Amino acid sequence: MAQYDLTRRIAPQLDRHLVFPLLEFLQERQLHHDDEILKAKIELLSETNMVDYAMDIHKSLYHTEEVPQDMVDRRVEVVGRLKSLEESAAPLISFLQNPSSVQELRPDKQYNLQMLNDRYQIGPEQIEALYQYAKFQFECGNYSGAADYLYQYRALSTNSERSLSALWGKLAAEILMQNWDIALEELNRLREIIDSKNFASPLNQLQSRIWLMHWSLFIFFNHESGRTGLIDLFFYDRYINAIQTNAPHLLRYLATAFIVNKRRRPQLKEFIRVIQQEQQSYKDPITEFLECLYVNYDFDGAQKKLRECEDVILNDPFLGKRVEEGNFATVPLRDEFLENARLFIFETYCRIHQCIDMGVLAEKLNLNYDEAERWIVNLVRNAKLDAKIDSKSGTVVMEPNHLNVYEQIIENTKALAGRTYKLAHQLLEAAPAQPAR
Amino acid sequence: MSSRFWVQSGNDTEEEEESDYESDVETGGGGGDTAGAAAGSRYLTGNASDSDDSDGQKRVVRSAKDKRFEEMSATVDQMKNAMKINDWVSLQESFEKMNKQLEKVIRVTESEKAPTLYIKALVMLEDFLGEALANKDAKKKMSASNAKALNSMKQKLKKNNKQFEDLINKFREKPESEVERESDDESADEDDSETEFEEDPSKAIISDSGDEDEDEEGEGGGVWEKKMSKKDKLMDKQFMKDPSEITWDTVNKKLKEIVAARGRKGTGRVEQVEQLTFLTKVAKTPAQKLEILFSVVSAQFDVNPSLSGHMPINVWKKCVQNVLVILDILEHYPNIVVDDSVEPDENESQKGADYKGTIRVWGNLVAFLERMDAEFFKSLQCIDPHTKEYVERLRDEPMFLVLAQNVQNYLEMVGDFKAAAKVALKRVELIYYKPQEVYDAMRKLAEQTEGGENGEGDAEEERQVVEESRGPPAFVVTPELVPRRPTFPENSRTLMDILVSLIYKYGDERTKARAMLCDIYHHAILDEFATSRDLLLMSHLQDGVQHMDISTQILFNRAMAQLGLCSFRVGLISEAHGCLSELYMGGRVKELLAQGVSQSRYHEKTPEQEKLERRRQMPYHMHINLELLEAVHLVCAMLIEVPNMAANTHDAKRKVISKTFRRLLEVSERQTFTGPPENVRDHVMASTRALSKGNFQKAFDVTKSLDVWKLLRNQENVLQMLETKIKEEALRTYLFTYASSYESLSLDQLTTIFDLSESHVHSLVSKMMIMEELHASWDQPTRCIVFYKVEHTRLQALAFQFTEKLSILAESNERALEAKTGGGLDGLPPRRREGQDYAGATTGKWHENFAQGRQGSLRTGYGGGGRLPTSSQASASGFMRDRAGQSRGAGGYSSGYQSTRYQDAYGGVGRSPYQTGSTVRGSQMENSARMSATCQLTLKGVTVGIPISIY
Repeated sequence: MAQYDLTRRIAPQLDRHLVFPLLEFLQERQLHHDDEILKAKIELLSETNMVDYAMDIHKSLYHTEEVPQDMVDRRVEVVGRLKSLEESAAPLISFLQNPSSVQELRPDKQYNLQMLNDRYQIGPEQIEALYQYAKFQFECGNYSGAADYLYQYRALSTNSERSLSALWGKLAAEILMQNWDIALEELNRLREIIDSKNFASPLNQLQSRIWLMHWSLFIFFNHESGRTGLIDLFFYDRYINAIQTNAPHLLRYLATAFIVNKRRRPQLKEFIRVIQQEQQSYKDPITEFLECLYVNYDFDGAQKKLRECEDVILNDPFLGKRVEEGNFATVPLRDEFLENARLFIFETYCRIHQCIDMGVLAEKLNLNYDEAERWIVNLVRNAKLDAKIDSKSGTVVMEPNHLNVYEQIIENTKALAGRTYKLAHQLLEAAPAQPAR
Repeated sequence: MSSRFWVQSGNDTEEEEESDYESDVETGGGGGDTAGAAAGSRYLTGNASDSDDSDGQKRVVRSAKDKRFEEMSATVDQMKNAMKINDWVSLQESFEKMNKQLEKVIRVTESEKAPTLYIKALVMLEDFLGEALANKDAKKKMSASNAKALNSMKQKLKKNNKQFEDLINKFREKPESEVERESDDESADEDDSETEFEEDPSKAIISDSGDEDEDEEGEGGGVWEKKMSKKDKLMDKQFMKDPSEITWDTVNKKLKEIVAARGRKGTGRVEQVEQLTFLTKVAKTPAQKLEILFSVVSAQFDVNPSLSGHMPINVWKKCVQNVLVILDILEHYPNIVVDDSVEPDENESQKGADYKGTIRVWGNLVAFLERMDAEFFKSLQCIDPHTKEYVERLRDEPMFLVLAQNVQNYLEMVGDFKAAAKVALKRVELIYYKPQEVYDAMRKLAEQTEGGENGEGDAEEERQVVEESRGPPAFVVTPELVPRRPTFPENSRTLMDILVSLIYKYGDERTKARAMLCDIYHHAILDEFATSRDLLLMSHLQDGVQHMDISTQILFNRAMAQLGLCSFRVGLISEAHGCLSELYMGGRVKELLAQGVSQSRYHEKTPEQEKLERRRQMPYHMHINLELLEAVHLVCAMLIEVPNMAANTHDAKRKVISKTFRRLLEVSERQTFTGPPENVRDHVMASTRALSKGNFQKAFDVTKSLDVWKLLRNQENVLQMLETKIKEEALRTYLFTYASSYESLSLDQLTTIFDLSESHVHSLVSKMMIMEELHASWDQPTRCIVFYKVEHTRLQALAFQFTEKLSILAESNERALEAKTGGGLDGLPPRRREGQDYAGATTGKWHENFAQGRQGSLRTGYGGGGRLPTSSQASASGFMRDRAGQSRGAGGYSSGYQSTRYQDAYGGVGRSPYQTGSTVRGSQMENSARMSATCQLTLKGVTVGIPISIY
């Protein structure tokens, strides 16, 4: 199943720290060799300040107590730097940690800066130091501290470039702390900035969008309203453009969200067109499933793909999230996905049939006969399906659903009256303006 | 060098007198020009021998020009007589008369320069005047009227001479020109034939250039050569006698002189090249050599004066060699800078080889290269493609590629990437149309020519040419530093990628657009449809192409045609149709692709238009096979249109996808008898008839019998694909046509009739059901299709049509109001698509025809599979908004594609053409110019955990 592993494509678009959860997941699934993953982790850590952690991994990888000298050196260096940064940021931090003095801050940035400068001798250098300190904290893995400092920094900073960076940092920190609600807020804030800001080059903007989408995967697959949010974000014109341009592998997540989310059905057709366009650049069982079902009407193929989808979902760090319930570990998304996919198949199947054998249907739905019958009865009872079961011959019979010609014509013309009325109304509105001209 | 005219007119006796006189003046006058004394005497001796020759000259019938000259020389005679008797009054009269004659002479000869005869007279007068004024005694003795005339003469002459100052000075200063004349004079008996050459430039060129034409021209050619050698000898005399005496100054002076003569009437073009080539050998400094070489190359370009003809091939080759030598020098002396923006110092080139600072030399390598390319192109246009000559000429291509490669390398080294991009484009334009096989052949040829020295006649010849012109050892020896052998990467795609990415980075708009089109074309040739399509859509070229120059438009059409062929090969029928249908819309494919001229019944073209058009033609080897193109287009149209016609039998006019096809079909149906198919159209029509009856086998057989399929590389696969497609469409047609006759139809029967697999039929029929094209559904237990009777009665059908028309009416009303008020009508129900399309097509097409008018109307939009030309942007803004919305709902791939993906007007983000492989090329859309620039994204070489610098 390693061929559908997207880590390699996703990782470059993430922050170093965000890659960790992915590697953890991979390690758990045992898709790759353990050593490889550990090596990757060390590599990942080499640029961060989490030296202790790196040492631990090193030990477990090579089964030694020896630690390479450069790691030790780096540790010393990191600690030294931490000290110096702490010092330079100290005045501001002490100010911020004092609740009474924080009260003095007002929404007005200029005022705050002035006030800090006048009363506490905290100037731009200290603020800058706060940023550096926060960054350092983040590098060390102290995400909550980093998030706090960055929040404060954003309140004080006037440098828009920097505050954008701080926002990215805050988002990363919140994601890593799994504060999904706050992370979602930050995400939306960031998105607003990216969409509204004039980037130096469109390329940067494109890149930012792609980063944003990758980072958002963490949030959307953990937040309860995430799936709708994902479709809203990813399927927005500019973002779908970005996906098609540089990150077609994100189509997997979009496809999954579409299948799982019932409310976004109207957009599905459009999405299928996108999938078709991108066939050359990306395909995996999930997109192929949609293609089988909605382009080729190949139900057997869809069935086959559905089975592959299950594997893909289980092995995907975002989709295959486990929930432990007592002794069971379930993957909620998988169940949901399968249920919905089944419904998709069935719906389409029913649309083009007037009579279906229950046995075949049960087979197609991956259910046994009785289950299938129950399932269908439920559907019929919930008025989702206009059909009846002929239990003697063991078939489901669809009610023919054809619009009467008269109804059709009425349907066509119904809107006309309203439109004409509106038109006339507008004309009248515009009329007074005309004599004046 | 108007000496020839002079000789012509002065053939008779006057010349002797005159020259006598002049020598008198010069020796007698004494003071005037001592410098020219020696030269003068030489001239004298030369003339003496000349006059002997001219005695034997027969009189010839004189042209108007000659008459004018005669008149003038008569006047000069009068003046001389007047001078002898010191009669200033008559002298003044003659002077005025001469001035009047001058005008006539100039008009007749059409040159801007006054004839030497006139200048000579002026000099003479001036000298005489000076003499007269100096002689105060004589002046006192003069009569009153004579003295008055002398004074007024003095003033007039002063005024008059100002106009001709440089000519006079030159005349006085330059004994050389006299010397040159000598040689002409010596061969005076052939002078008539010489002047004939001059009068007929084209003829002159033939004899000039051609060793091969020597026989034809017989005597004339022989004489020419003789003269040349004489000239060389003279040069030698001047320069070779004592090499140590040749200084930078003499060479420089000579250069100036030759360059000054450029473009003048009577300057032998080839002659000039020869002189300059000689000069390169005696150049004293590298910079000077460079300077002279630049002049040589320009002079070589001058050899062919007309715009339609091409430069003689051997001159072209020499030219290539010269530019290579230029590059050698530049490579060898990196301190020499070529520049055409500033006028360099006069004596810049004096600085020797050991000079350390930068030396600026005036010149433009890119312009040279572009010109060479143009000449190469022109020569291919002119040569008959079915001759050996054409093939031979094609073999010169690697030579040009080497040159271009070297120039580009040099420019990159210098850091002038903009110019390098231009050069890269020239290379791209030579490569883009070559499929891999042809490219390989070229590569092999290039290797051969250089490898086997004796093998290639061509190379041999070249070498000889070079050798010949080398003659005496040059002062400045330039080692061959620049590689003379082209280096081609294994794969044409690699080369294209390198060049194209350079252009995208540095090129200007037009260069980028052209490179993009070449890129698209090349991808299409390699069957990479998706890349090619993405490039096209991303670049938004189709939007702006009608504002580009015609040759770019042609390139665009070519790219579209190739894209169409490509999508056909990969089995995307409707895409292929979308690409090609527009080319065939006006029935002027030949013109649109610049592969010939089609006659138009309706308006005659003016000769200028025709000439222009001929200049645009593509050389034969670049042609896209028109028959294949037509076959592909018609087959695609057939596959789309036949089921469409079957589906809409009631109102066949409503949904016409391919008008061209429909028209052809009508024509063929009108025929009383249909014979066996002969051309492409007949075949497709026969196939259509079979297909509309559901007879797929016959349809396929007829189509298959076309010869053009041989031209496809993977013929087998394509034909297989075609067979499947035909079967599919036959099935669809069958169902559309006969659905009403069946109550139910079993799957097995369909599979046997159409020889398709069960799942295939099932998928096709299911699709038709979902799309509501077919009112039926499956009965799963019996594996049957059950049809519903939803046949509309005539009244009902009419009612539907009526409602549709109503909604169109309402829509156009709304649009009209929107256009007037500018505001959108929000909250209205989504409009119906058909109506929109219909309206869009009409406005679009109208606009298109209008905008493009006569000037070749080469390009139209691509969007909307031809139904919604993008040029319809002029229509109301509300419409545009709507279109984006509705086309997303359904519709041709291109319109839908565009709107969903490329609506991003502000973001301006394109997509990367190469996501696969190691190069991650991001791309961007420069929104302002709507041209995409693909450039390297910073994502290169990503491994797990690349640091992201944002935080």
